Amino acid sequence: MDIKILFLILVPLGTAFLIPLIDLINAKLRRFFVLLGVLLESYLIITIITGNLDNFRNGDFFLQYFLGGWRPPLGITLAMDGLSLLFVVITAVSLFLVVIYSIGYIGHHEGKYYVLYFLIAAASMGALLTADLFNIYVFIEMLTITSGALIGFKRSEEASAAAIKYLIYNVLAGLLFFLGVLVVYFNLGTLNMAAVAQNFADLESGIQLFISAIFLTSILIKMGIFPFLFWLPKSYDTAPSPVTAVLSGILSKVYLYIFIRIFWTVIGFEVITSLNLNIFLIDLALFSSFLGHVFALQSNNIKRLLGYSSIGHIGMITAVILLNTEAGFYGGILHIISHMFMKAGLFVACGYLLQYTRSHAYGDFKGVGLRNKSVFIAFIALLLSMIGMPPLLGFASKWYVLMAFLEARSYFGAFIVIFGSLTAVIYYLRYIAKGFEEVKLTEDDLKEEVFSRPLLSVLYREKIVSFITYTYAAIIIGFGVGFRFFDLPLKMSINSIMNVERYIELVLGG
Amino acid sequence: MNKLVKKTLITAVLAAAAFALYYNFSLLPGYQDLEKGISDYIITYGLHDTGSLNLITAVLYDYRAFDSLGESTVIFGAVSGIVLILSRKMLPVSSKGLSFIVKRTLGIMTPFIALFGFYVITHGHLSPGGGFQGGVILAAISIIFSIVYGSAFDYRRYSPQTKTVLETGGALTFLVIGLAGIVMEGAFLKNLGFLTAERGTLISAGSIPYINIGVGFKVGAGLAIIFYSMIQKTFEEDF
Repeated sequence: MDIKILFLILVPLGTAFLIPLIDLINAKLRRFFVLLGVLLESYLIITIITGNLDNFRNGDFFLQYFLGGWRPPLGITLAMDGLSLLFVVITAVSLFLVVIYSIGYIGHHEGKYYVLYFLIAAASMGALLTADLFNIYVFIEMLTITSGALIGFKRSEEASAAAIKYLIYNVLAGLLFFLGVLVVYFNLGTLNMAAVAQNFADLESGIQLFISAIFLTSILIKMGIFPFLFWLPKSYDTAPSPVTAVLSGILSKVYLYIFIRIFWTVIGFEVITSLNLNIFLIDLALFSSFLGHVFALQSNNIKRLLGYSSIGHIGMITAVILLNTEAGFYGGILHIISHMFMKAGLFVACGYLLQYTRSHAYGDFKGVGLRNKSVFIAFIALLLSMIGMPPLLGFASKWYVLMAFLEARSYFGAFIVIFGSLTAVIYYLRYIAKGFEEVKLTEDDLKEEVFSRPLLSVLYREKIVSFITYTYAAIIIGFGVGFRFFDLPLKMSINSIMNVERYIELVLGG
Repeated sequence: MNKLVKKTLITAVLAAAAFALYYNFSLLPGYQDLEKGISDYIITYGLHDTGSLNLITAVLYDYRAFDSLGESTVIFGAVSGIVLILSRKMLPVSSKGLSFIVKRTLGIMTPFIALFGFYVITHGHLSPGGGFQGGVILAAISIIFSIVYGSAFDYRRYSPQTKTVLETGGALTFLVIGLAGIVMEGAFLKNLGFLTAERGTLISAGSIPYINIGVGFKVGAGLAIIFYSMIQKTFEEDF
């Protein structure tokens, strides 16, 4: 029983509940209250890390909490092993950076924005920590509803259309997940992940296939893999930049975690192989990655382009994890970390760079780099990391992914990694070149500039916004040099993915 | 793309989806028997463990209370989202409401509807019902008011601020009862032992009735807020 992991969920939840009351008392206090919530959350994570350093080295790190005091098969359990610890830490770092960015970026309707933001924080922590199937569904639903509302934050026609499309796809995915949970309970009589994992192999293969297919469809929709990727670029484009950073930096990674948890811990990879799903899935994910890069090549809108490139990267990560080798997990999880920081950093930088352009289109990108030189250099560093240039974090992770594909003799996968990097060179260099183009303003242009409404009317704390962009670039460069730092956490998480029996024993044994 | 091609494409995709679903369901074996598992335990020991006569409430607010906290948070999030997207800085559309007869009749009926709502909330652990259901009944009163008496009537009596306070108050009640569980009983959302009394009385079953009241206010105020943000006037240049 470790109470700290419970408070990882309760602190953002309590902050979200209290913000409307603070608003009624004094709206100026809100910002400090938000910071207080984030700092408390970071303090909790730091104490968890420093308090368990010995357990990390011995490889027996495990924390759990029984909600309501009910022991495992009966009540809900929260459990934290190496995998969830890694995801919790990187999610919390991203949430911390993006919330500070939001303080500088969001100028209107701040109260509701922070409520929804902290609900996302609570829900992603909950989804990462829980060891109960129905509970994970509840948190997925929470993530969907709150992020759907934030996508429509700009309240324009486009934004509402994107939000509705997002909600239709994702609520459908949630319902499929719920159906899967129902069938599991119907057949096994328990919802605890460890108890389900213990008995899942004894089921008839028909039911196994049904449950796997339902969960698979639902999670593929959530992650945006090929047949279901069409909601993604639109919502990435219209949402405000911090929200897009959350969507691609946090939500897609949380869904990747759920994917790993369900298909390795709960269902078990042996079952997937015996159903012949893994080969099909690898090809599907790689094809989705290919499509993402091709769509990105023809895209004429910087935020939409980044969305398509997200599809490419997520497909690649899914495929390399599905190889089910140690090298595959190492490369996949390292790429999850690096993609999380690169993409969130890019969207954050976009929010700064696109503040005075008329639209997100390629033509309007002209001269952006000359106006804000230092931020644009950070932006270029992040782009180079996406391509995979040597001293940056993107290179290290892509290298391990490529090695994993070659080791497993999956040459299609290796081809996709190289193909992704090469096409990325083409579609990013276009924007870099355009950014440095000189703008010659004529009288008509000026008039148009003045009378057309800029996308964002105020960016009222510019320094904070640019500072966060530099921070992301610094993370990419710093960890690119010292990516060995991730060795221990990656080993821990691979250990907890591969060693399912230990998880079952620890959760059920208390 | 012309219309016919589009229609055939949509039909083909839908047919494929229907086939996939059918095929998937045909994999399921026929109904054998419900795997009892933990439900047996709850049916046998539920009353003894929680003191609640209504076993569904026992599961909702005791065995799996954390799920209910999540579910009510989903409603909280939906309310915030709808207010964020739909709220306008204008009073709701005003109308004179329906005829005198309807107004008078409803005036007599309203206290009874409210009483029924509170009954459903407070007797959640004794009879079917609970916070979610009772909250919806309370929200219905607010909606009926706006239809029968005109939308400004309810708006003037209970301002959006009051409703927000009620909603967050309900949410915080849930959270505080959970935290009290840590202090007094040693686990989050554990049933508070000192509140238990004789089974079947109104004040029994530990913290369950109080959680029910919190959820009732949260759901009721939340749904009323959603309704009032949806009927507000829209205009072009709003921000």
